[in-house]
Amino acid sequence: MARVAREMVERAGVDVDQLLELLVKNAAAELTTYYYYTILRANLIGLEGETIKEIAEVARIEDRNHFEALVPRIYELGGKLPQDMVEFHNLSACPPARLPEDPSDVMAILKVLVEAERCAVRGYTHICNLTAGKDHRTYDLALAILNEEIEHESWFSEFLGEGPSGHFMRRGETSPFVSKFLK
Amino acid sequence: MREFTPRELARFDGRDGRPAYVAYRGKVYDLTGSFLWQGGRHQVLHRAGGDLTGELELAPHGPELLEKFPVVGTLKGGEDAEDDRGEPQGGVRR
Repeated sequence: MARVAREMVERAGVDVDQLLELLVKNAAAELTTYYYYTILRANLIGLEGETIKEIAEVARIEDRNHFEALVPRIYELGGKLPQDMVEFHNLSACPPARLPEDPSDVMAILKVLVEAERCAVRGYTHICNLTAGKDHRTYDLALAILNEEIEHESWFSEFLGEGPSGHFMRRGETSPFVSKFLK
Repeated sequence: MREFTPRELARFDGRDGRPAYVAYRGKVYDLTGSFLWQGGRHQVLHRAGGDLTGELELAPHGPELLEKFPVVGTLKGGEDAEDDRGEPQGGVRR
């Protein structure tokens, strides 16, 4: 634990135990999403599915990066991950992104993907709101993750016909915002 | 449709297998089946068994997510709450 770093956050008025619980729940959401997206990606096949497979893969890898970036902050603040993987899964901040009943229904898969990203956008917005001006390091991390989650949402939203995402796919890189926390 | 007093609503706190109900703008919603309300808690800060109208104003989502769940009654306001001064169990943990 980074004792003084935690003290600074506490003195700024943040309930660190509550914040840690939120960080663990969001770390669980990232790792479980990585798992469920592995299944979704494998089922994105055929003319329609292949079009989306690449962005589903980028979102999958970036979600795993988010998990990796969150864990050090959890331990710095004196928290820890649950020993039990099932417990970790079940406390996730977002519902499981399960494969739809009809795995050949690409639109249904897209809806699962966009809802997962929307849950993440809400979650990190919440953490940013709680930490803004008080816990600079967690805020910086949550904001970096939020930037990537918003991009994921906009990619899937575009394929659902909700309008242009406004930007391009990644060009061979992943986690342009979060990578600084992974070095 | 059932009318809940705040004290009656507080019993539906989602703990120990009890249903998780919350009120929003006078309607009582059953969130028992929601993955995000397991044990009557939501995103660490919110608890079932209370009126979440004020809290939802500050949440990173609107009422549309709540409105997906069944309405099981209405929340009785003011006068009954004053007669029946049970501490509400729901709401933000401070």
